[in-house]
Amino acid sequence: MSTHAATAPAALATDSTSSSAATKALIIGIAGLVLTGAGIALSPNKHGPVMSYLVGVTYWTAIAIGMLMMVMIHHIVDASWSVVIRRQWEHGLAAFKWLFVLFLPLLVLSLLKPGYIWPWMDLNHVLHGHETVGSDVLYQKKSGFLNTPLFMGMTVGFFIIWVWLSARLRKASFTQDSDGNAAWTKTNRVNSAMGLPLGALTLTFAAVYWVKSLEYHWFSTMYGVWFFANCMRGALCCGVVIMVWLYRRGDYKGILNTNHFHSIGQLMLAFTVFWAYVTFSQYFLIWNANVPEETFWYNLRELNHDGTTNQWWYVGLVLVFGHFVIPFCALLSYRFKVTQHIIRRIAFWVLTVILVDMCYNILPALKDVHGDSLPFLSINLLWVLTSVIGVGGVCIWAYLRSLPTTKLIPIRDPRIRECLTHHE
Amino acid sequence: MATPNYGLIATFDSTPDLYHAAEKVRDAGYKNWDCITPFPVHGLDKAMGLRRSTVPRISLAGGITGFCTGMSMIWWTGAYDYQITVGGKPLFSPMFAFPVSYELTILFTAFATIGGMFFLNGLPMHYHPVLKYDQIKRGMDDTFFIVIEARDPRFNLANTKALLEQAGGKEIKELEA
Repeated sequence: MSTHAATAPAALATDSTSSSAATKALIIGIAGLVLTGAGIALSPNKHGPVMSYLVGVTYWTAIAIGMLMMVMIHHIVDASWSVVIRRQWEHGLAAFKWLFVLFLPLLVLSLLKPGYIWPWMDLNHVLHGHETVGSDVLYQKKSGFLNTPLFMGMTVGFFIIWVWLSARLRKASFTQDSDGNAAWTKTNRVNSAMGLPLGALTLTFAAVYWVKSLEYHWFSTMYGVWFFANCMRGALCCGVVIMVWLYRRGDYKGILNTNHFHSIGQLMLAFTVFWAYVTFSQYFLIWNANVPEETFWYNLRELNHDGTTNQWWYVGLVLVFGHFVIPFCALLSYRFKVTQHIIRRIAFWVLTVILVDMCYNILPALKDVHGDSLPFLSINLLWVLTSVIGVGGVCIWAYLRSLPTTKLIPIRDPRIRECLTHHE
Repeated sequence: MATPNYGLIATFDSTPDLYHAAEKVRDAGYKNWDCITPFPVHGLDKAMGLRRSTVPRISLAGGITGFCTGMSMIWWTGAYDYQITVGGKPLFSPMFAFPVSYELTILFTAFATIGGMFFLNGLPMHYHPVLKYDQIKRGMDDTFFIVIEARDPRFNLANTKALLEQAGGKEIKELEA
């Protein structure tokens, strides 16, 4: 644990409300994690709660990655409008090391029980009663990438890279508050030029390893981009929620104007279209080519082995309308983008649907004896909820703990004046 | 004076002068008037009491038209006019009609936006009465103008002139139509 969290609030004499809120978030988070743990310990079938925990960790890691990418994109394009919001994303990056800690149980479980989460880790895992993973030619061809040591090493590597990049970006930005040296802005531009390709590669490999490899037969070149779209949408929505929260609390009064909400709303709209573009492309190419190695992934999410429609088909429709059509239409409106309670409602909605998207991509890996995906509406939803609250509580605690350690906005950023007078 | 005047033009030296004068003209209830500035003045639209542009509505109409055109074109060619099965796919599916619809949505939105902007701005406009004013070229350099048109219902040569004077306008001139 770092020491500055304990000393800084006293030094800056800032709000005690956010430190008590941080404690509350931590208590809620730990309660969620304990409940998830109890779910794993007490469930007769432990597979469901474990996969639900993977949903929870992946969801919040995606949002943190989105914040990292947003901060780096901000620096690389030398943006001015987002200077004050960037600071909140920088605080959000404090969650990475705790996300790493929360991911470790999944790695340990995979070492203790290979194949329990990612089936390809167990070479003796039987595939639909025909053959084992080890004798499966598709596995053999992919084993250069899909092997346990590389998975473990890469996963640890992803988190090291994310924590390291976050630390560099945060240090340069926070130090600038006190010394006002414009060179820190240049430092962060270099950090971002280096960090963006690293971020793109790590988030793609993370999505492939953690989520896509649950069905290792599958092929999709869009997967990393799909994950990236969700990362960005999550970060933007969290940005909106934080903006409205700090505005209503009074901190951001006189700092934010309607144009800041307009700008972030425009990005939300852009990434809504982006998400739809890549998600549709993935579906369309697979639908059009109609190759069994690819279509089975969607068949699992539409049909049972006897041809009846399963619940995931409806979840897919919820994604089409809830993740694209509704936010897209709502975000077209200028009034919706600049009215705080409306844009916040849209942000909460999108954050919820991102979770449904994660469930759609992860939970159908849970199958019954016929190889059909277990239904969406099940006890597993409870474990998804406890996991999301658990991991989320810890992330929010990390954010709130970081918040009072710096100035509210980067007061000496060279673009701060431009940001405070942001106009259309 | 029953001459067919276009209106009155007043000169201002600085952005704040113009900005506050615009607020006065707005508060006096004028509708047919405009500011001429050498560069965009942020917040001037509010000072002039202008509402947000209606171009986005025209864009939306264009987008919806484009989407419907794409869908119905693919349906008409593939499932109605010349039915032919390709790759074992149905004669019509929104799946393969979607890329075309999506492209046409963008294309028609772009057309509607550009066209709507030209229409609402009254472009192309080859002549405007202020061009007869010999000082107007300074409006591209260092001077600001407010023009109030005679067709405004509140326009009254004496009163409007007094308003512009009171708002700090200099060299108030009548413009020929």
